[in-house]
Amino acid sequence: MPLGTLDRTPPPFFRQGPSAVSKLAVCAALAVFMMVADTRLGLGTPVRFAVATALYPAQWLVMQPVNWINQSRAYFSMLGSAQEQAEAARVRLAQQAARSGQVDQLMLENQRLRQLLALRERLSSPAQAAQVLYDAADPYTRKIVIDRGLMHRIAPGSPVIDAEGVLGQVTRTFASTSEVTLVTDHDQAIPVLNTRTGLRGVAFGDAGAHAGALELRFMAANADVQEGDLLSTSGVDGVYPPGLPVARVSKVERRVDSAFARIFCEPLGRVAGTLHVMVLTPVTGQVEPRPAAPVPEPTASSKKAVRK
Amino acid sequence: MMMNRGQQLLLPANPLFIWTTLILALMFNWVQNMGLWGRAAWVPDVLALVIVFWSVHQPLRVGIVSAFVLGLCMDVHQSALLGQNALAYSVLSFLAITIHRRLLWFPVPSQALQVLPLLFATHLIEMVLRMATGGMFPGWSLLLAPVAEAALWPVVSVFLLAPQKMAPDPDANRPL
Repeated sequence: MPLGTLDRTPPPFFRQGPSAVSKLAVCAALAVFMMVADTRLGLGTPVRFAVATALYPAQWLVMQPVNWINQSRAYFSMLGSAQEQAEAARVRLAQQAARSGQVDQLMLENQRLRQLLALRERLSSPAQAAQVLYDAADPYTRKIVIDRGLMHRIAPGSPVIDAEGVLGQVTRTFASTSEVTLVTDHDQAIPVLNTRTGLRGVAFGDAGAHAGALELRFMAANADVQEGDLLSTSGVDGVYPPGLPVARVSKVERRVDSAFARIFCEPLGRVAGTLHVMVLTPVTGQVEPRPAAPVPEPTASSKKAVRK
Repeated sequence: MMMNRGQQLLLPANPLFIWTTLILALMFNWVQNMGLWGRAAWVPDVLALVIVFWSVHQPLRVGIVSAFVLGLCMDVHQSALLGQNALAYSVLSFLAITIHRRLLWFPVPSQALQVLPLLFATHLIEMVLRMATGGMFPGWSLLLAPVAEAALWPVVSVFLLAPQKMAPDPDANRPL
């Protein structure tokens, strides 16, 4: 048997290094510290940013064959389906043409009326288009990754919409990608307005049995909400511009034993499988800051009370 | 090294090959996420499997610290809780190192069965951590992930041991 067949360097005899248990203890402690820093202290961002920047070239490399396959699949997709899509788009365009013709006039009218009543101007939010790269792999949350980041001046907190409605909100930004938390995420809340009644509420992402849906929470059991109601953003949060469609009420459960109704909604934005999105600039900067609580003036009666 | 009777003597493992396979496994996980299935709970974590494999076969070269670093890369890619995969992979590598002396005495299908509890523990750690920090329950298909990984163990064993099973003196009659 020739030399070099077996591993001829014997394991080190004296310098064994730290034992496996001690290595595990150090690594586990470090991991737990990182989890605490990430969730409680907010220190995880720089670590994440550094690792993400280092990994980006490799991720880009992996993305290329995926993109080629997707593009070639789109290229070889049937002519018929392309024609169908074009036809559907034309029908929608025709449907919207009548409304969009009125919008300019209504905007003007709205502006005049607001000037007349000395109301504040409606907020406008500039937008930029982005492309969805992939669904974030973590099955415990609902997030997607888009191809615009700090280099394109995406700010954390920006609302993200697609052609149908609100998708979610940018929660983390990296150099050239950002993470968008979808409205169906368990921790995501969005203030909405029932367009039929004007009733305001807050919709939360629904965990559990209705995953991929929203729940309108804290609505009184006798609140006027019906199946099929359209919910749009109310704009009271100072983040989302008002009037973007969010969800449609799919089921209302009124229970005797609860003071609140359980209201389930289907998101209108295509949370699973949209490709192109718009990232809006949050209206936070345009809203005036909340006035400070007024300091109570000491009144005459209270002075008397002090004297006594 | 004391070995099972009738087992082939292996060539020394090339560290370059070990690290290439680890990084390829990481990239394969990314491809599964970006191109194949997107976000799904049952997706087999190939990187975890390759970490177990090298921790069992080459515990002096691949151990807990390497597993920790690779886990951190997975965390950032998944945009999961920072340190979740790092902790799970560290524990996985530790468990693999504790059984590495006895595991290789068994035939490969039996090895797969013994690796299954380790992989199950990895996913359990991740799930407990995420549920404790307020994540959504991903569904019962999560139970399929360790089973799928254990089913891949024979495949991984064949591919990752192939370079070490080559002929020590290749000639015209036996090129590999």
